[in-house]
Amino acid sequence: MSLNSREDLANRRSRAVKTAWLLGLIAAGIFVAFVLSGVLGH
Amino acid sequence: MSIETTHSHDESHDDHHDHAPSGFLDRWLFTTNHKDIGTLYLVFSLLMFFIGGSMAMIIRAELFMPGLQLVEPDFFNQMTTMHALIMVFGAVMPAWVGFANWMIPMMIGAPDMALPRMNNWSFWILPFAFTMLLSTLFMDSGGPAAGWTLYPPLSLQGGQSFAFVVFAVHMMGISSIMGSINVIATILNMRAPGMTLLKMPLFVWTWLITAFLLIAVMPVLAGAVTMLLTDHFFGTSFFNAAGGGDPVMFQHIFWFFGHPEVYIMILPAFGVVSEIIPTFARKPLFGYTAMVYATASIAFLSFIVWAHHMFTVGMPLTGELFFMYATMLIAVPTGVKVFNWVSTMWRGSMTFETPMLFAIGFVVLFTIGGLSGLMLAIAAVDLQYHDTYFVVAHFHYVLVPGAVFALMAGTYYWLPKWTGHMYSEKWGKIHFWVSTISVNILFFPQHYLGLAGMPRRIPDYSTQFADFNMISSIGGFIFGASQLIFVGVIVHCVYKSRKAATAQVWEGARGLEWTLSSPPPYHSFNTPPPINASTVAHADEAH
Ligand code: HEM
Ligand SMILES: [Cu+2]
Repeated sequence: MSLNSREDLANRRSRAVKTAWLLGLIAAGIFVAFVLSGVLGH
Repeated sequence: MSIETTHSHDESHDDHHDHAPSGFLDRWLFTTNHKDIGTLYLVFSLLMFFIGGSMAMIIRAELFMPGLQLVEPDFFNQMTTMHALIMVFGAVMPAWVGFANWMIPMMIGAPDMALPRMNNWSFWILPFAFTMLLSTLFMDSGGPAAGWTLYPPLSLQGGQSFAFVVFAVHMMGISSIMGSINVIATILNMRAPGMTLLKMPLFVWTWLITAFLLIAVMPVLAGAVTMLLTDHFFGTSFFNAAGGGDPVMFQHIFWFFGHPEVYIMILPAFGVVSEIIPTFARKPLFGYTAMVYATASIAFLSFIVWAHHMFTVGMPLTGELFFMYATMLIAVPTGVKVFNWVSTMWRGSMTFETPMLFAIGFVVLFTIGGLSGLMLAIAAVDLQYHDTYFVVAHFHYVLVPGAVFALMAGTYYWLPKWTGHMYSEKWGKIHFWVSTISVNILFFPQHYLGLAGMPRRIPDYSTQFADFNMISSIGGFIFGASQLIFVGVIVHCVYKSRKAATAQVWEGARGLEWTLSSPPPYHSFNTPPPINASTVAHADEAH
């Protein structure tokens, strides 16, 4: 697959989108964890 | 997205191949271009600096003399709270995201940010968030007045407008998280082949680490304000002692966010200064790898020091000691950085153009703030300093001649690249000197006020504090006014300057962004540039 060909770019973009979802889920997880720790804390 | 705008033929050297959309809304409202979004962020941030700055002028005017003269005490408290919220979330942070948008793709040889549509959304959330935040000033119950730290129970004693504050904070948080996701996805996936991680410019490195900090702590802030919201409006008692909650818990959660947050504002500044000093010392950065590791260590340590903001709440002694020593440890990687900047200048062929002046001003004055931080880290004496003007002096030194000077240094450094014109060096230097002198008149006396016991966040004070307050206010008015010079220089550079900038702009500049024309083509690096010793900014390998 040649550099910067259509597939190369599509590939890199889909990796970027996966990175984004992963990071987004981590952020959401942290949010939920902190609120839950408040809810369960008493 | 950019798959559609990327054509396979080589156009990286062709400035006129693709243009910005011609309609105003198409260009700015619907933009997915990293350069335009960068510009939007920077212009927004400048506007917020002036709104937050006017609030600071109100604060300093009220404190010019003892006694209550200009504003109601409650409005004064709204001013201190809003000033901080706007400067932190509306001015400094968006400015860094603006720099990230402009520079990261150009520095790593990518055509754009990885997620351009999300990029548009990250920006356009902000004007709505801040309109909402500012609108609370005009509501019956007024703006938030409990300080930017929003400590309960005080923060819960305001009126209905508090809901708008919480929603605004949520929106800013979402914007920051999306911006950070974009930065990480871009750096990890879009680097030109050959641009290995340890060849990246330090600005890219510091932003990568900053983005991880943001993703880790913005959700924590969101959680904290959500719990404030339900405590205020839905009868929960997360932080309400009467209902079995714990107000000190809020402080722990807030500062678990808050301390990394202050590093979020300063790490990109470290990055910019590490770009500028080698350029004007005409020497490669001393200790590139050490700088990367120092940045990572600072980021790691920033998670285990939060309770140094809470030495007075009555922690167990072991807690006080742990947070004291952990805090002092941060001085080690910070010292490494200062040492490396000085060593970069050592025996360099230095010249003192405006970006370099601001960068040197940063190194000297930021260090003063770091030293007062060390004083505050001593738990035993913080019992006296806490909540006094000494703390105000400390964080203004690290944030104003620290983070803000680095923003100005970066603006002068890259403005010729962005606009294709040289700014007026004469007025840039005037701006530097007036700012540097006045910022010290403004904040240095606050150390003495704090040591003498003047509390922070009060509209009136006893007469023994009068002289230093008057001096500080005078410095504040001069500093505020001198920022009009900054705007003048920028406006002149963009619209009037007839002196064209070369591609390299500065004789000693190294790195990919300087291989592009000034201004760079609307779409740059559609074909990845070659990465070699002449295009790498300052990785050790390059020299
Ligand atoms: C050598 C590094 C540093 C040390 C040891 C340090 C230490 C401290 C300590 C102990 C406090 C709490 C004082 C108190 O409330 O009694 C404090 C407050 C603060 N610091 Fe630092 N600091 C350092 C660097 C920084 C940097 C780089 C920034 C931001 C760019 C920063 C921003 C702040 C802010 C905003 C506050 C006040 C927060 C508030 O109460 O509103 N500090 N610092
Ligand atoms: Cu801190």
